[in-house]
Amino acid sequence: MKRKDNAFFRWFFGETDTMLGRVEMRPQQEYTETASDIREVMQDSLTQDQTGDEEDFVLIRVFHRLYRVAAVFFCVALIAVLLINVSWLPKNGGADNPVNNEVSARYIESGLQETGAVNIVTGMILDYRAFDTFGESNVLFIATVTVLILLRLDKEKKAPAKKGMPVYQRPKDELTIAQAQSRDRIYEPKNNVILQVVAGFLVPILFIFGIYVILNGHLSPGGGFSGGAIIGAGLILYLNAFGFEKTERFFTEKTYKWVSFFSLTFYCLAKSYSFFTGANHLESGIPLGTPGAILSSGLILPLNICVGLVVACTMYAFYALFRKGGF
Amino acid sequence: MTGYETADPALQSAYRILFIGALLFLAVMMLFCFLRAVWGPRVADRIVAVNMIGTMVMVTIAILALMQKEGYLADICLIYAMISFLAVVVLTKVYMGVYRERQEKRKEEEENADA
Amino acid sequence: MLDWIRFIVGAVVLLLGLAAFALEVFGSYRFSFVLNRMHAAAMGDTLGIGISLIGLIIFSGFNFTSLKLFLVLVFLWFASPVASHLIARLEITTDEDLEQFCEIRK
Repeated sequence: MKRKDNAFFRWFFGETDTMLGRVEMRPQQEYTETASDIREVMQDSLTQDQTGDEEDFVLIRVFHRLYRVAAVFFCVALIAVLLINVSWLPKNGGADNPVNNEVSARYIESGLQETGAVNIVTGMILDYRAFDTFGESNVLFIATVTVLILLRLDKEKKAPAKKGMPVYQRPKDELTIAQAQSRDRIYEPKNNVILQVVAGFLVPILFIFGIYVILNGHLSPGGGFSGGAIIGAGLILYLNAFGFEKTERFFTEKTYKWVSFFSLTFYCLAKSYSFFTGANHLESGIPLGTPGAILSSGLILPLNICVGLVVACTMYAFYALFRKGGF
Repeated sequence: MTGYETADPALQSAYRILFIGALLFLAVMMLFCFLRAVWGPRVADRIVAVNMIGTMVMVTIAILALMQKEGYLADICLIYAMISFLAVVVLTKVYMGVYRERQEKRKEEEENADA
Repeated sequence: MLDWIRFIVGAVVLLLGLAAFALEVFGSYRFSFVLNRMHAAAMGDTLGIGISLIGLIIFSGFNFTSLKLFLVLVFLWFASPVASHLIARLEITTDEDLEQFCEIRK
């Protein structure tokens, strides 16, 4: 492929590190502690203890006490400021509150006409406040990436600790992926026929129910987050019944990467387009349809599907990472 | 036409009393199950007690769905059933794995002590 | 009049289900070992919730909510025995002095 020679594509598919060779890099040097170093450090701390004057000690003690008092004072002052602020807020549930008579009334009155969603809540979170929901989906993605960094197991074991190494430098006792798999096979009962039969019957029902909840997000309570959670639960049940070998045939890290990437990108582009046209008073060209039908309410249905995919993949990825350290 | 959406005020109050009584009864039963879960000497005891609480919560949600006249709460009932089943599956698997791992470690330690 | 008959029938069935729950909790305190307690617990999973939901279906009549409640029942018929099986398996694997409580044939 000619296109893949492009530096951007090479970086995008993770083949090469574009920064490699252009930035001055130096591997971290091994820190060795000799006996004379240790003696020096100990000598320093000993002399510090010895040379302190009585007056200095008093001053330090006074400072520590003052510090505590000041901390308490600061916290109390902060709480007081916040409480005073809250006490000036309009009374909860009052009829003449600004929140009560503008925003929510507008949502309730014209939400159905403007968004086309029968369920006002979905119309709110996926139309009026769609960027908020976009942030939530991104938070899920970032959380998975963080857990991946923390819990991911290496393909090969790290070099074993040398004898003279200080404690903080020794590599942690980590398993490789193959070891973790064999351990999963040894320690956890996998070939439970009863569970497999029941899971084979229940998992499709769970998926169908989750898809129903996602697709009816703009008509009835539910939507992307809850439906995605149900599909994720179905995936976890399947994994528990049949083990990692079966799930790895259709769900690996690559699947997760592409599904999340396409969902989040589609969400971002679609919502940017709709906000752009909305802000400039242009015709968006997306039909709202008749309220109450499945194919209605414009962008809300595809956005719900995107959110559902991200949530389902995130649930499964969390479980797999915590169980085995990879998926 | 559902039975509980009636115009008769006497029947309405009868439904209300029945539902609230059932909810209170279930709450007391759940408290006892919770005590069992805290007290239960073994892990299996606790899982059984949590499973019992889950069953009662399902009935509670179903009663609330009728009482509030909100049919979609039954969806949540279904989801709760699925999640509690999944919890039992995962918990039993994880505990069995932990137990077997511990056993292996104990064996290794004994062998090391012998040698 | 018909409404009252429906209320009374439904209430009797619902109260029977609640009584099954009471027996379940009583059994979980009465028995002294997990595998025995599970008999009582499984009774609540099937009998208690089954009869209670049938009572609620009688209240609700023939509509979509009843269908969902019936689906909960069907789901539990499949899921609850498997859950009990898994818990029993856990107990048998992890209990080291099982002979105290029951006879083991090898």
